[in-house]
Amino acid sequence: MSALVLTHVTKRYGTRLVLDDISLELARGARLGLIGPAASGKSVLLKLVAGLEQPDAGTITVLGDTITRPHVREVDLGELRKRIGMLFQSYALFDFLDVAGNVAFPLEQRGGIPAAEIAERVAARLRAVGLAGSERKLVGELSGGMKKRTGIARATVADAELVLYDEPTAGLDPVTTQKIYDLLAADQQRTGASVLAVSSDVAALAELVDEIAFLYRGKIVYRGPARSIRDAPDPLVRQFVRGELDGPLTEAIG
Amino acid sequence: MSGPVERVGAAALDRLRAARDLWRLYVSTIAGLGRALARRRDHAGPPRGELGRQMFHIGNRSLGFVIVTLGFIGMVVTFEACLQLSRVTGDYSTVGGQMIRLVISDFGPTLTAMMLATRVGAGIAAELGSMKVTEQIDALRMSGVLPVDYLIVPRFIASVLMTVVLTVIGTLVMYGAGGLTAWRSFAVNPSLYFDISLVRPRHVAIGVLKAVAFGAAIPIVAGFCGLRARGSSEGVGWATTAAVVGSSFAVIALDFVISAAALWVTGGDL
Repeated sequence: MSALVLTHVTKRYGTRLVLDDISLELARGARLGLIGPAASGKSVLLKLVAGLEQPDAGTITVLGDTITRPHVREVDLGELRKRIGMLFQSYALFDFLDVAGNVAFPLEQRGGIPAAEIAERVAARLRAVGLAGSERKLVGELSGGMKKRTGIARATVADAELVLYDEPTAGLDPVTTQKIYDLLAADQQRTGASVLAVSSDVAALAELVDEIAFLYRGKIVYRGPARSIRDAPDPLVRQFVRGELDGPLTEAIG
Repeated sequence: MSGPVERVGAAALDRLRAARDLWRLYVSTIAGLGRALARRRDHAGPPRGELGRQMFHIGNRSLGFVIVTLGFIGMVVTFEACLQLSRVTGDYSTVGGQMIRLVISDFGPTLTAMMLATRVGAGIAAELGSMKVTEQIDALRMSGVLPVDYLIVPRFIASVLMTVVLTVIGTLVMYGAGGLTAWRSFAVNPSLYFDISLVRPRHVAIGVLKAVAFGAAIPIVAGFCGLRARGSSEGVGWATTAAVVGSSFAVIALDFVISAAALWVTGGDL
């Protein structure tokens, strides 16, 4: 069974076409990276997969459940979302909770897990992301890197079957970036979760995922092995990954 | 380029959609109340003590504001009433009786709710709007939490309860301040002013009904505005302004509807 199936998905905001007839499949345990120019619809695609937004056309099936209307309502998605972890680009940490409270939140909302077990799992996760000793810090006291690591701990504490990462290292220094990608890779090895990650840092992303898809003007124009992404046959992808100024991408953007 | 007709039509459609979404939020909140009552103690939901915290924020923190405002309004209204009477008949015997009827069934709940609409409505919209633009609402949803159950329902219950409590306090303060003014400024005998023999159970029922309706409307309208916030701090500012305007308007509109319904039910004998 696939972790994720998108069939002819289209999404518009007003008159702007953001995703245009996207079809995509992700096998259980597989890891796919999404890259593309700014405003190409990468984050929107993640939100559609999480059921946070609804497509205008097409169907989305996540972990065997169809999450597009009219099949489901918001109230029906709660149980499925407990099987999905998501790291938001802007962290989205709860500012009314401290670090430990944020990480414990998904476990507490599952219900039925003893408080001692929650505390143990939260402590283990915070150790894994290097935040041991910061349990009682409030979100406003954290640096960007610490917020990102808290978000990763929250996204992975419940051992989700599908994890969605939206720009896991945006705005971080290269050393912290490498640490975070090592952490994500180790975590994926541990849980065997399926991963869909959006990132602008293609080199680091290629260390985490098996395949990379290139999203351009609302369409997936290329999907291939992550290791050889720099030598992709599509000139658009090659130019984007290599960061070259001259090429079809520059000509298209003008 | 759209013409004026298209723009008016688009604006009208936008208002209709907003009204539909507001209604949906109200229905979801009532459904959330049912889920909260049916929820097991060990299951997902707002943190323990959240209802008490909201009651404190909505009730205790508004107490001084309501007392001062309604006290002054009670003084001004009574002073004006006595002043007009002194120019016409000079008979103050009915001032207290008419004042208490008016305060119980109309001024007390409406003015209390108007004060709460500004203070509480703005607070709820700013808090929820800020959570919306920082994706905290989406993070709640990703944890399997319904934002309505977690954020709106506790505020809804607290607002209904505390609006009734504050209305009772505000009514007493307004009536008492009026009595003090009548006595000090126009030498109206307090035993004459504080004559409540004209008050009927229906006046109390209308006042309580209004307080409950206003208390229910404020968090729904303010929460709706907060959850619709877009963008960044500008969006939160818009949501806060819309919440104050919307919840104040809701109070006035509900006051009109309930008063009209009461007149119709009693055949004008209020």
